[in-house]
Amino acid sequence: MLIHFEGQAIEIAPGETVLQGIERHGGQLPAVCRRGVCRACLVKARRGAVPAAAQKGLKEAIRRQGLFMACQCQPSEELELERCGSAAAFDSCVERVERLSERVLRVDLSAPDGFQHEAGQFIQLERPGDGVSRAYSIASLPGGALELHVALLPGGSMSQWLVGAEGQPVRLRGSFGECHYLAGEPERPLCLAGTGTGLAPLLGVLRAALAAGHRAPIRLYHGSVQTSGLYLWAELTALARRASNLRVVGSVLEAPASEGDGSGAIRVESLDAAIARDGAPHPEERVFLCGQADLVRALQKKFYLSGVPLERIHADAFVAPGAPR
Amino acid sequence: MTEKSLYERIGGEAAVDAAVDAFYRRVLADDRIAHHFEDVDMDVQREKQKAFLTFAFGGPSRYTGRDLRAAHARFSLSDGDFDAVMQNLSLTLESLGVPASLIGEVAGIALSVKTDVLNR
Repeated sequence: MLIHFEGQAIEIAPGETVLQGIERHGGQLPAVCRRGVCRACLVKARRGAVPAAAQKGLKEAIRRQGLFMACQCQPSEELELERCGSAAAFDSCVERVERLSERVLRVDLSAPDGFQHEAGQFIQLERPGDGVSRAYSIASLPGGALELHVALLPGGSMSQWLVGAEGQPVRLRGSFGECHYLAGEPERPLCLAGTGTGLAPLLGVLRAALAAGHRAPIRLYHGSVQTSGLYLWAELTALARRASNLRVVGSVLEAPASEGDGSGAIRVESLDAAIARDGAPHPEERVFLCGQADLVRALQKKFYLSGVPLERIHADAFVAPGAPR
Repeated sequence: MTEKSLYERIGGEAAVDAAVDAFYRRVLADDRIAHHFEDVDMDVQREKQKAFLTFAFGGPSRYTGRDLRAAHARFSLSDGDFDAVMQNLSLTLESLGVPASLIGEVAGIALSVKTDVLNR
Protein backbone atom coordinates (compact mmCIF):
# COMPACT_ATOMS: atom_id res chain seq x y z
CA MET A 1 0.00 0.00 0.00
CA LEU A 2 1.38 3.36 -1.01
CA ILE A 3 1.85 6.31 1.31
CA HIS A 4 3.16 9.80 0.58
CA PHE A 5 5.27 11.50 3.22
CA GLU A 6 7.52 14.54 2.93
CA GLY A 7 8.05 14.20 -0.81
CA GLN A 8 8.57 10.44 -0.82
CA ALA A 9 6.26 7.75 -2.14
CA ILE A 10 6.72 4.76 0.16
CA GLU A 11 5.34 1.28 -0.43
CA ILE A 12 4.26 -0.22 2.89
CA ALA A 13 4.78 -3.98 2.79
CA PRO A 14 2.11 -6.34 4.14
CA GLY A 15 2.46 -6.59 7.90
CA GLU A 16 4.58 -3.46 7.99
CA THR A 17 3.52 -0.28 9.81
CA VAL A 18 3.67 3.27 8.51
CA LEU A 19 6.38 3.95 11.07
CA GLN A 20 8.52 1.04 9.87
CA GLY A 21 8.04 2.03 6.23
CA ILE A 22 9.06 5.62 6.86
CA GLU A 23 12.12 4.51 8.81
CA ARG A 24 13.07 1.98 6.12
CA HIS A 25 13.24 4.91 3.71
CA GLY A 26 15.51 6.88 5.98
CA GLY A 27 12.79 9.05 7.50
CA GLN A 28 12.47 9.69 11.20
CA LEU A 29 9.55 10.12 13.54
CA PRO A 30 9.87 10.73 17.28
CA ALA A 31 8.79 7.19 18.14
CA VAL A 32 9.36 6.03 21.70
CA CYS A 33 7.28 3.03 22.73
CA ARG A 34 6.31 1.68 19.27
CA ARG A 35 3.27 0.01 20.77
CA GLY A 36 0.54 2.60 20.75
CA VAL A 37 1.07 3.99 24.22
CA CYS A 38 3.30 7.05 24.09
CA ARG A 39 1.69 8.84 21.13
CA ALA A 40 5.04 10.30 20.15
CA CYS A 41 4.74 9.07 16.56
CA LEU A 42 1.43 10.76 15.77
CA VAL A 43 1.15 11.81 12.14
CA LYS A 44 -1.68 13.37 10.21
CA ALA A 45 -3.51 11.87 7.26
CA ARG A 46 -4.26 14.72 4.85
CA ARG A 47 -5.90 12.30 2.45
CA GLY A 48 -7.11 8.74 2.92
CA ALA A 49 -8.70 6.92 5.84
CA VAL A 50 -6.61 5.05 8.39
CA PRO A 51 -7.66 1.77 10.04
CA ALA A 52 -9.44 2.15 13.38
CA ALA A 53 -6.58 0.41 15.19
CA ALA A 54 -4.27 3.31 14.36
CA GLN A 55 -6.52 5.75 16.24
CA LYS A 56 -7.55 3.47 19.07
CA GLY A 57 -7.71 5.30 22.36
CA LEU A 58 -7.15 8.74 20.83
CA LYS A 59 -9.56 11.47 21.79
CA GLU A 60 -12.32 12.20 19.35
CA ALA A 61 -11.05 15.73 18.74
CA ILE A 62 -7.65 14.28 17.77
CA ARG A 63 -9.15 11.59 15.58
CA ARG A 64 -11.27 14.11 13.72
CA GLN A 65 -8.12 15.99 12.77
CA GLY A 66 -6.85 12.85 11.03
CA LEU A 67 -4.07 12.23 13.52
CA PHE A 68 -3.09 8.63 14.12
CA MET A 69 -0.29 6.51 15.57
CA ALA A 70 2.21 5.61 12.84
CA CYS A 71 3.39 2.60 14.86
CA GLN A 72 -0.12 1.12 14.89
CA CYS A 73 -1.05 1.77 11.28
CA GLN A 74 -1.04 -0.92 8.62
CA PRO A 75 -2.73 1.10 5.88
CA SER A 76 -5.57 -0.34 3.85
CA GLU A 77 -5.71 2.49 1.35
CA GLU A 78 -3.37 5.06 -0.13
CA LEU A 79 -2.52 7.79 2.36
CA GLU A 80 -1.05 11.24 2.11
CA LEU A 81 0.66 12.07 5.38
CA GLU A 82 2.03 15.10 7.10
CA ARG A 83 4.27 15.33 10.13
CA CYS A 84 2.33 16.30 13.24
CA GLY A 85 3.04 19.86 14.28
CA SER A 86 4.74 20.64 10.99
CA ALA A 87 1.79 22.62 9.75
CA ALA A 88 2.72 25.00 7.00
CA ALA A 89 4.03 28.49 7.74
CA PHE A 90 1.91 31.45 6.63
CA ASP A 91 2.71 35.11 6.14
CA SER A 92 0.47 37.36 8.15
CA CYS A 93 0.42 40.88 9.51
CA VAL A 94 -0.53 42.54 12.78
CA GLU A 95 -3.71 44.39 11.84
CA ARG A 96 -4.62 45.89 15.18
CA VAL A 97 -3.39 46.03 18.76
CA GLU A 98 -5.69 46.95 21.60
CA ARG A 99 -5.00 46.99 25.31
CA LEU A 100 -7.74 45.05 27.09
CA SER A 101 -6.28 45.59 30.54
CA GLU A 102 -3.05 46.59 32.22
CA ARG A 103 -1.70 43.08 31.57
CA VAL A 104 -3.46 41.87 28.43
CA LEU A 105 -3.29 42.89 24.77
CA ARG A 106 -5.72 41.93 22.11
CA VAL A 107 -3.79 41.37 18.89
CA ASP A 108 -5.61 40.83 15.60
CA LEU A 109 -3.67 39.15 12.81
CA SER A 110 -4.74 39.07 9.19
CA ALA A 111 -5.98 35.58 8.29
CA PRO A 112 -3.64 34.24 5.59
CA ASP A 113 -5.05 32.61 2.45
CA GLY A 114 -5.37 28.87 2.95
CA PHE A 115 -4.99 29.09 6.73
CA GLN A 116 -7.53 26.95 8.57
CA HIS A 117 -8.40 26.90 12.23
CA GLU A 118 -11.13 26.22 14.70
CA ALA A 119 -11.72 28.80 17.41
CA GLY A 120 -9.78 27.78 20.52
CA GLN A 121 -6.88 26.14 18.70
CA PHE A 122 -3.47 27.76 18.94
CA ILE A 123 -0.82 29.01 16.55
CA GLN A 124 2.89 29.48 16.82
CA LEU A 125 3.52 33.17 16.12
CA GLU A 126 6.97 34.02 14.79
CA ARG A 127 8.55 37.45 14.73
CA PRO A 128 10.41 38.20 11.51
CA GLY A 129 14.11 38.84 11.73
CA ASP A 130 15.14 36.90 14.81
CA GLY A 131 12.61 34.05 14.64
CA VAL A 132 11.45 34.43 18.26
CA SER A 133 8.20 32.49 18.47
CA ARG A 134 5.41 31.97 20.99
CA ALA A 135 2.18 30.01 21.11
CA TYR A 136 -1.11 31.91 21.27
CA SER A 137 -4.69 30.67 21.20
CA ILE A 138 -7.23 31.99 18.71
CA ALA A 139 -10.36 33.44 20.30
CA SER A 140 -12.12 34.25 17.04
CA LEU A 141 -14.22 32.16 14.69
CA PRO A 142 -12.93 31.37 11.20
CA GLY A 143 -13.71 33.95 8.58
CA GLY A 144 -12.12 37.10 9.94
CA ALA A 145 -8.97 38.35 11.60
CA LEU A 146 -7.30 36.02 14.09
CA GLU A 147 -7.94 37.41 17.57
CA LEU A 148 -5.21 36.63 20.11
CA HIS A 149 -5.03 37.61 23.77
CA VAL A 150 -1.45 38.28 24.76
CA ALA A 151 -0.35 38.38 28.39
CA LEU A 152 2.08 41.26 28.82
CA LEU A 153 5.03 39.85 30.69
CA PRO A 154 7.71 42.08 32.24
CA GLY A 155 10.64 41.80 29.86
CA GLY A 156 8.58 39.51 27.63
CA SER A 157 10.41 39.37 24.34
CA MET A 158 7.36 38.83 22.16
CA SER A 159 4.63 40.44 24.24
CA GLN A 160 6.46 43.76 24.71
CA TRP A 161 7.30 43.87 21.00
CA LEU A 162 3.64 43.30 20.09
CA VAL A 163 2.61 46.47 21.97
CA GLY A 164 3.92 48.56 19.09
CA ALA A 165 3.72 46.04 16.29
CA GLU A 166 0.63 47.30 14.48
CA GLY A 167 1.26 46.98 10.76
CA GLN A 168 4.25 44.68 11.19
CA PRO A 169 4.59 41.47 9.17
CA VAL A 170 4.71 38.21 11.13
CA ARG A 171 4.74 34.51 10.33
CA LEU A 172 2.52 31.91 11.88
CA ARG A 173 2.29 28.14 11.97
CA GLY A 174 -0.77 26.16 12.82
CA SER A 175 -3.31 25.57 13.76
CA PHE A 176 -2.66 23.17 16.59
CA GLY A 177 -4.45 21.55 19.50
CA GLU A 178 -7.70 19.90 20.41
CA CYS A 179 -9.17 22.77 22.39
CA HIS A 180 -12.15 23.55 20.17
CA TYR A 181 -15.89 23.08 20.08
CA LEU A 182 -17.12 19.71 18.83
CA ALA A 183 -20.09 20.03 16.53
CA GLY A 184 -22.86 17.46 16.64
CA GLU A 185 -23.61 17.32 20.35
CA PRO A 186 -25.79 20.36 21.06
CA GLU A 187 -27.40 18.68 24.08
CA ARG A 188 -24.14 18.09 25.97
CA PRO A 189 -23.50 20.52 28.85
CA LEU A 190 -20.22 22.43 28.63
CA CYS A 191 -17.95 23.65 31.39
CA LEU A 192 -15.26 26.18 30.41
CA ALA A 193 -12.77 27.25 33.05
CA GLY A 194 -9.53 29.15 32.87
CA THR A 195 -7.25 31.78 34.26
CA GLY A 196 -5.74 34.87 32.67
CA THR A 197 -5.40 34.67 28.90
CA GLY A 198 -6.65 31.09 29.16
CA LEU A 199 -9.87 32.93 28.42
CA ALA A 200 -8.86 33.23 24.75
CA PRO A 201 -9.36 29.56 23.82
CA LEU A 202 -12.41 29.35 26.10
CA LEU A 203 -13.95 32.33 24.34
CA GLY A 204 -13.20 30.60 21.04
CA VAL A 205 -15.03 27.47 22.18
CA LEU A 206 -17.89 29.58 23.54
CA ARG A 207 -18.29 31.59 20.35
CA ALA A 208 -18.30 28.41 18.27
CA ALA A 209 -20.86 26.81 20.59
CA LEU A 210 -23.18 29.83 20.45
CA ALA A 211 -22.78 30.12 16.67
CA ALA A 212 -23.69 26.43 16.35
CA GLY A 213 -26.85 26.94 18.41
CA HIS A 214 -25.67 24.84 21.34
CA ARG A 215 -28.75 24.06 23.42
CA ALA A 216 -27.43 22.55 26.67
CA PRO A 217 -26.22 24.70 29.58
CA ILE A 218 -22.78 26.29 29.24
CA ARG A 219 -20.93 27.53 32.32
CA LEU A 220 -17.82 29.64 31.99
CA TYR A 221 -15.44 30.47 34.82
CA HIS A 222 -12.73 33.10 34.45
CA GLY A 223 -10.21 33.38 37.23
CA SER A 224 -7.66 36.05 38.06
CA VAL A 225 -5.89 37.58 41.00
CA GLN A 226 -7.88 40.82 40.85
CA THR A 227 -11.03 41.99 39.11
CA SER A 228 -8.89 44.04 36.72
CA GLY A 229 -7.61 40.69 35.40
CA LEU A 230 -11.11 39.71 34.27
CA TYR A 231 -10.31 41.60 31.12
CA LEU A 232 -13.41 40.79 29.08
CA TRP A 233 -15.93 40.67 31.89
CA ALA A 234 -18.29 43.16 30.26
CA GLU A 235 -18.31 41.21 27.00
CA LEU A 236 -18.88 37.91 28.82
CA THR A 237 -21.80 39.22 30.83
CA ALA A 238 -23.28 40.73 27.66
CA LEU A 239 -23.07 37.33 25.99
CA ALA A 240 -24.74 35.74 29.01
CA ARG A 241 -27.60 38.23 28.83
CA ARG A 242 -28.25 37.25 25.22
CA ALA A 243 -27.82 33.48 25.60
CA SER A 244 -30.16 32.06 28.22
CA ASN A 245 -28.17 28.81 28.46
CA LEU A 246 -24.90 30.62 29.31
CA ARG A 247 -23.78 31.44 32.83
CA VAL A 248 -20.52 33.26 33.51
CA VAL A 249 -18.71 33.30 36.83
CA GLY A 250 -15.68 35.40 37.72
CA SER A 251 -13.31 34.27 40.40
CA VAL A 252 -10.79 36.61 42.01
CA LEU A 253 -8.49 36.13 44.93
CA GLU A 254 -8.03 39.70 46.07
CA ALA A 255 -11.02 41.96 45.69
CA PRO A 256 -14.27 42.64 47.47
CA ALA A 257 -17.04 40.96 45.53
CA SER A 258 -18.92 44.23 45.51
CA GLU A 259 -16.33 45.56 43.12
CA GLY A 260 -17.88 43.39 40.43
CA ASP A 261 -20.71 44.47 38.21
CA GLY A 262 -23.33 44.06 40.89
CA SER A 263 -24.65 40.82 39.42
CA GLY A 264 -22.92 38.83 42.13
CA ALA A 265 -21.31 36.69 39.48
CA ILE A 266 -17.80 37.69 40.56
CA ARG A 267 -16.78 35.64 43.56
CA VAL A 268 -13.83 36.15 45.86
CA GLU A 269 -12.55 32.62 45.98
CA SER A 270 -10.17 30.46 44.01
CA LEU A 271 -11.27 29.14 40.65
CA ASP A 272 -11.50 25.55 41.87
CA ALA A 273 -13.52 26.65 44.90
CA ALA A 274 -15.86 28.62 42.64
CA ILE A 275 -16.40 25.55 40.47
CA ALA A 276 -16.80 23.25 43.47
CA ARG A 277 -19.44 25.58 44.94
CA ASP A 278 -21.66 24.79 41.95
CA GLY A 279 -21.68 21.12 42.86
CA ALA A 280 -20.47 17.97 41.19
CA PRO A 281 -19.95 18.12 37.43
CA HIS A 282 -22.73 16.86 35.23
CA PRO A 283 -21.72 13.29 34.29
CA GLU A 284 -22.25 14.05 30.60
CA GLU A 285 -20.42 17.37 30.64
CA ARG A 286 -17.59 18.26 28.26
CA VAL A 287 -14.89 20.26 30.01
CA PHE A 288 -12.33 22.76 28.69
CA LEU A 289 -9.56 23.93 31.03
CA CYS A 290 -7.04 26.57 29.96
CA GLY A 291 -4.42 28.74 31.55
CA GLN A 292 -2.01 28.45 34.44
CA ALA A 293 -0.49 24.97 34.22
CA ASP A 294 -0.67 23.81 37.85
CA LEU A 295 -4.27 24.87 38.19
CA VAL A 296 -5.25 23.27 34.89
CA ARG A 297 -3.69 19.96 35.95
CA ALA A 298 -5.32 20.11 39.37
CA LEU A 299 -8.73 20.81 37.84
CA GLN A 300 -8.28 18.07 35.28
CA LYS A 301 -7.65 15.63 38.10
CA LYS A 302 -10.68 16.86 40.05
CA PHE A 303 -13.03 16.53 37.10
CA TYR A 304 -11.66 13.08 36.31
CA LEU A 305 -11.99 11.90 39.90
CA SER A 306 -15.55 13.15 40.00
CA GLY A 307 -16.45 10.92 37.08
CA VAL A 308 -15.84 12.83 33.84
CA PRO A 309 -13.85 10.63 31.42
CA LEU A 310 -10.51 12.06 30.24
CA GLU A 311 -11.82 11.80 26.70
CA ARG A 312 -14.12 14.70 27.53
CA ILE A 313 -11.63 16.86 29.44
CA HIS A 314 -9.62 19.16 27.19
CA ALA A 315 -6.74 20.59 29.17
CA ASP A 316 -4.62 23.35 27.65
CA ALA A 317 -1.92 24.13 30.21
CA PHE A 318 -0.04 27.34 29.41
CA VAL A 319 3.63 27.01 30.16
CA ALA A 320 6.27 29.70 30.40
CA PRO A 321 8.13 30.62 27.21
CA GLY A 322 11.06 28.34 26.62
CA ALA A 323 9.51 25.35 28.29
CA PRO A 324 8.03 22.68 26.04
CA ARG A 325 4.37 23.33 25.50
CA MET B 1 -9.60 -29.08 25.14
CA THR B 2 -7.28 -26.24 25.83
CA GLU B 3 -7.90 -24.33 28.99
CA LYS B 4 -8.94 -20.72 28.62
CA SER B 5 -6.27 -18.18 29.45
CA LEU B 6 -6.62 -15.82 32.39
CA TYR B 7 -7.14 -12.96 29.94
CA GLU B 8 -10.10 -14.76 28.35
CA ARG B 9 -11.59 -15.79 31.67
CA ILE B 10 -11.41 -12.28 33.11
CA GLY B 11 -13.09 -10.80 30.05
CA GLY B 12 -10.27 -9.61 27.80
CA GLU B 13 -10.09 -6.10 26.43
CA ALA B 14 -13.58 -5.25 27.70
CA ALA B 15 -12.41 -6.02 31.23
CA VAL B 16 -9.40 -3.75 30.80
CA ASP B 17 -11.65 -0.96 29.53
CA ALA B 18 -14.01 -1.47 32.44
CA ALA B 19 -11.22 -1.44 35.01
CA VAL B 20 -8.88 1.27 33.79
CA ASP B 21 -10.74 4.36 35.00
CA ALA B 22 -11.77 2.77 38.29
CA PHE B 23 -8.15 1.77 38.88
CA TYR B 24 -6.56 5.05 37.80
CA ARG B 25 -9.05 7.06 39.90
CA ARG B 26 -8.23 4.93 42.96
CA VAL B 27 -4.53 5.46 42.44
CA LEU B 28 -4.92 9.23 41.99
CA ALA B 29 -7.06 9.47 45.10
CA ASP B 30 -4.63 7.45 47.22
CA ASP B 31 -2.57 9.93 49.24
CA ARG B 32 0.15 7.33 49.82
CA ILE B 33 1.12 7.28 46.14
CA ALA B 34 -0.70 10.13 44.39
CA HIS B 35 2.42 12.32 44.49
CA HIS B 36 4.13 9.99 42.04
CA PHE B 37 1.46 10.89 39.49
CA GLU B 38 1.62 14.66 39.67
CA ASP B 39 2.88 16.62 36.67
CA VAL B 40 2.19 13.78 34.27
CA ASP B 41 0.07 13.95 31.16
CA MET B 42 -3.09 12.23 32.36
CA ASP B 43 -4.08 11.03 28.89
CA VAL B 44 -0.72 9.33 28.44
CA GLN B 45 -0.78 7.98 31.98
CA ARG B 46 -4.20 6.45 31.45
CA GLU B 47 -2.86 4.58 28.42
CA LYS B 48 0.01 3.31 30.56
CA GLN B 49 -2.49 2.10 33.14
CA LYS B 50 -4.28 0.24 30.36
CA ALA B 51 -1.06 -1.37 29.22
CA PHE B 52 -0.33 -2.37 32.80
CA LEU B 53 -3.77 -3.90 33.32
CA THR B 54 -3.54 -5.78 30.02
CA PHE B 55 -0.24 -7.21 31.22
CA ALA B 56 -1.53 -8.06 34.70
CA PHE B 57 -4.60 -9.74 33.19
CA GLY B 58 -2.27 -12.02 31.24
CA GLY B 59 -3.20 -10.32 27.98
CA PRO B 60 -1.31 -9.66 24.76
CA SER B 61 1.20 -7.23 26.17
CA ARG B 62 4.70 -6.66 25.04
CA TYR B 63 5.86 -5.42 28.40
CA THR B 64 9.26 -6.78 29.34
CA GLY B 65 11.03 -6.66 32.65
CA ARG B 66 13.64 -4.39 31.11
CA ASP B 67 11.00 -1.89 29.91
CA LEU B 68 9.50 -1.75 33.38
CA ARG B 69 12.88 -1.33 34.97
CA ALA B 70 13.80 1.54 32.65
CA ALA B 71 10.40 3.21 32.99
CA HIS B 72 10.48 3.25 36.79
CA ALA B 73 14.19 3.90 37.34
CA ARG B 74 13.81 7.64 37.89
CA PHE B 75 11.27 7.22 40.67
CA SER B 76 12.63 5.86 43.89
CA LEU B 77 9.77 3.58 44.76
CA SER B 78 9.38 1.67 48.00
CA ASP B 79 7.79 -1.62 48.98
CA GLY B 80 4.98 0.49 50.43
CA ASP B 81 4.36 2.17 47.06
CA PHE B 82 4.20 -1.17 45.30
CA ASP B 83 1.89 -2.63 47.93
CA ALA B 84 -0.42 0.38 47.66
CA VAL B 85 -0.76 -0.13 43.91
CA MET B 86 -1.40 -3.84 44.44
CA GLN B 87 -4.07 -3.02 46.98
CA ASN B 88 -5.76 -0.55 44.63
CA LEU B 89 -5.68 -3.16 41.91
CA SER B 90 -7.36 -5.77 44.13
CA LEU B 91 -9.98 -3.32 45.38
CA THR B 92 -10.75 -2.24 41.81
CA LEU B 93 -11.29 -5.81 40.67
CA GLU B 94 -13.34 -6.63 43.77
CA SER B 95 -15.60 -3.65 43.10
CA LEU B 96 -16.14 -4.93 39.58
CA GLY B 97 -17.16 -8.34 40.90
CA VAL B 98 -14.12 -10.28 39.70
CA PRO B 99 -13.89 -13.60 41.62
CA ALA B 100 -11.19 -13.83 44.27
CA SER B 101 -9.40 -16.69 42.52
CA LEU B 102 -8.90 -14.57 39.39
CA ILE B 103 -7.78 -11.58 41.46
CA GLY B 104 -5.19 -13.89 42.98
CA GLU B 105 -3.88 -14.82 39.54
CA VAL B 106 -3.71 -11.16 38.50
CA ALA B 107 -1.83 -10.31 41.70
CA GLY B 108 0.59 -13.12 40.96
CA ILE B 109 1.45 -11.67 37.54
CA ALA B 110 1.84 -8.17 38.95
CA LEU B 111 4.06 -9.46 41.77
CA SER B 112 6.31 -11.16 39.22
CA VAL B 113 7.65 -7.78 38.09
CA LYS B 114 8.10 -6.26 41.53
CA THR B 115 11.88 -6.41 41.45
CA ASP B 116 11.93 -4.70 38.06
CA VAL B 117 9.57 -1.92 39.13
CA LEU B 118 11.52 -1.32 42.34
CA ASN B 119 14.84 -1.63 40.52
CA ARG B 120 16.30 -4.33 42.68
